Amino acid sequence: MQEAPISRGFRSRRQEQTPKNRVPPGQYVTTDFPILSAGPTPQIKVESWNLAFQLDGSLLGKWSWVEFEALPQTTIKKDIHCVTKWSKLDTSWQGVTFDDLMKAVGLAKPPQAYIMAHCDGGYTTNVPVADLVGGQGMIATRYDGLPILPAHGGPARLLVPHLYFWKSAKWVRRLRFMEKDERGFWESLGYHNYGDPWKEQRYDGD
Amino acid sequence: MTAIETAAVPVRRLEWQLAEVREIVVETSRVKSIILHVTSWQGHRPGQHLDIRLTAENGYQAQRSYSIASPPEEELLTLTVEEIANGEVSPYLVGDLRAGDQFELRGPIGGYFVWTAAIGGPLYLIAGGSGIVPLMAMLRHRERRNSRAPALLLYSSRSLKDVVYREELDAMTRRDPDLRVVNTLTRNQPDGWRGPRRRIDKALLGVECFPPEQKPKIFVCGSTPLVEDVSRFLVELGHDPFTIKTERFGPSGV
Amino acid sequence: MTENVSDLVLDGNAAAGLLQEIFVPDITIAQIQCEACGSTGGVGSLRLYAAPMGAVLRCNNCDGILIRAVHTPYGRWLEMRGARYLRY
Repeated sequence: MQEAPISRGFRSRRQEQTPKNRVPPGQYVTTDFPILSAGPTPQIKVESWNLAFQLDGSLLGKWSWVEFEALPQTTIKKDIHCVTKWSKLDTSWQGVTFDDLMKAVGLAKPPQAYIMAHCDGGYTTNVPVADLVGGQGMIATRYDGLPILPAHGGPARLLVPHLYFWKSAKWVRRLRFMEKDERGFWESLGYHNYGDPWKEQRYDGD
Repeated sequence: MTAIETAAVPVRRLEWQLAEVREIVVETSRVKSIILHVTSWQGHRPGQHLDIRLTAENGYQAQRSYSIASPPEEELLTLTVEEIANGEVSPYLVGDLRAGDQFELRGPIGGYFVWTAAIGGPLYLIAGGSGIVPLMAMLRHRERRNSRAPALLLYSSRSLKDVVYREELDAMTRRDPDLRVVNTLTRNQPDGWRGPRRRIDKALLGVECFPPEQKPKIFVCGSTPLVEDVSRFLVELGHDPFTIKTERFGPSGV
Repeated sequence: MTENVSDLVLDGNAAAGLLQEIFVPDITIAQIQCEACGSTGGVGSLRLYAAPMGAVLRCNNCDGILIRAVHTPYGRWLEMRGARYLRY
């Protein structure tokens, strides 16, 4: 790869010292929380919000905001990695794990191997169920102890921090089981289907 | 835009080129112009922009777009950059950059938001803040071409000291009776200020304008709220939407 | 970070560099019609989202997606399902 000429004295303002082995290849740590959206921020009122859990066109479960808040809550602290090369360390999230959603609808085992997340505004992303269970995935409603801001995906977003952050779909409204994997919004336009930051799986072909 | 204008757009592969800073000019307390030499620059049309790319020593790269402020008649390229608070690239360009420094750029880009003297007038330009930059390229080009197309610039700034290119615009209007500049100052006005003192609204656009019957070529550049409001008002005032070209300015990632 | 998120929204002009890698003639000068609502405008005037992941250009009238474009090291992707036509 050709070396790009260095611009004297330029460095990322947001960068911190990057701790070795903490950050996947090609990533830079930021203290900011950059916002990237594929569309306008939906203004969602929690009074009319609900989350649906679907299997083959039938509803496994549907929760209003009050019902959702009454489900078991989990708090996690994880690093997050955006495919646009910024990483944010030790981010704190609270919400309902995928495991607890399955329990809430009485599922001991996942009936199908894949999930498609559907969101307000039309965004979609696909995730293998194997990457959501065991505490790996949640529907998050709080960031740093406070309700997630609309621009950051509030009132609720999918959170799958071990994959590139485009998989942590903002404004999630529906989780649909799939027998066969289908590609979501970015996955169908050149981005990697799985998205493991440690293997630098940014694009289809990586 | 006429059919001839669009068909004649030459097609070039965009490639990154090296630019060297020749000079830095202070425009206002937050705005500087950067004058660049680019070895194999092919020329541009007023209103176009370019992408710049900065590479840090650790390999980190940042890319941003900036409108070209200089007219095509100038050999050196000028970019005019406003420092955005907490930004990543603009504070470097406005605060750290010095003559002799280098970065990469590619362009010119964008055939949509373009005016050349061949297109003719009347030319109706509406700017908010740093949105003046591509419109200034148009006015500088218009002057170099000795264009007689009547032109009106309606320019919104917070205060007089925030008006970018103020002295140059004053001098242009003194030299050219076919050019009018109306400054509106939204936050602070000097004593004795007789111009407008508010954001550009429908009433102001109704007064400071070329009437729709004259079919002016309209260019609006500024923040998204300004651009969307002004476009809507212009259409309500009877201007044909096809004659209104817009460019939203903003921190494209700051 | 800017407080007003709408200040972050740019337009098709800002996507012109990416689009010019795909379309040899500059499509920001073309008129485009939205498949969903039928309104027409210049590609340069469309609201741009999702940079730097790619370009998502949406209809100013109904927010429907008109053009999606991504530049990857393996090739450039373009989808225009949401557009009925482009007119130069």
